[in-house]
Amino acid sequence: MNPRLAHFLVRLYPRGWRERYGEEFEELLASRRGKPQDPVNVVLSALRERVIAGFGRPADLSAVSFGAIVRLPGAFVPMAMSLSALAIVFAHIAFYGIAPQADEGAAAHLWQLLMTLQLPILVIFAVRWLPKAPRQTLGVIALQAAAFCASLAPVFFLKL
Amino acid sequence: MRSTRHVVRAGDAPENGHYSDPPLLVLASLAEGPKHGHAMIEDIERLCGSRLGPGTLYGAIARLEEQGWVQPLPPEDRRRPYRITPAGLDVLRAKLTTLQHFARAGLKRLEVL
Repeated sequence: MNPRLAHFLVRLYPRGWRERYGEEFEELLASRRGKPQDPVNVVLSALRERVIAGFGRPADLSAVSFGAIVRLPGAFVPMAMSLSALAIVFAHIAFYGIAPQADEGAAAHLWQLLMTLQLPILVIFAVRWLPKAPRQTLGVIALQAAAFCASLAPVFFLKL
Repeated sequence: MRSTRHVVRAGDAPENGHYSDPPLLVLASLAEGPKHGHAMIEDIERLCGSRLGPGTLYGAIARLEEQGWVQPLPPEDRRRPYRITPAGLDVLRAKLTTLQHFARAGLKRLEVL
């Protein structure tokens, strides 16, 4: 595998995992003849390690920073979904204006999916992290709520 | 011990009959002696026809190390070999015995058909 791709793939793992296994794992990836399915396997495994790291209670909760919480998938994925939904709204306005369309269309369905699917992620994140680091988690939830409202506002006020 | 689905099928392996419990496969590979990641992948492919993806392999190693069933050895260049611990050997023996009973019982049922 290309050493740069190997390095990039190792960076997908949580920091603690990288510190322990990063060097040898990168060596394994770089020394192997590239199999097309390997990068997919590594990406899925990195996601799994991140989920496992998210489940684990940090040893020192006072050391958990806002930055560390906001980098958790449960924190940034809903925000990314809201912002993507907002981008869809702006793109729709740019192409079709603010006049209501007879047919909802793909953009509307995509917007609805993005806004709906983030809710369970948000709930799981809140349930998992509020008891562990309430202040930082509330900050992240406020950001998620702001992103959610920002995406909802043009649809609501412009009656799209 | 759990199985994961990220086991890459070897090209020359039969259509069915793959065994995909990565931690058990790693333990079985290390029962022969200490190995680093690349050697484990090759050995497991020879052993049962399944090729573990690199991410799956290291996921299994991490879990096994947490449980104290494998132990890292000093690195050789940038490769780190692992060896199975006595506790790991006990687990492997118990798991394989269970599988043996299961396989024997299953095959016996097939004979009746």
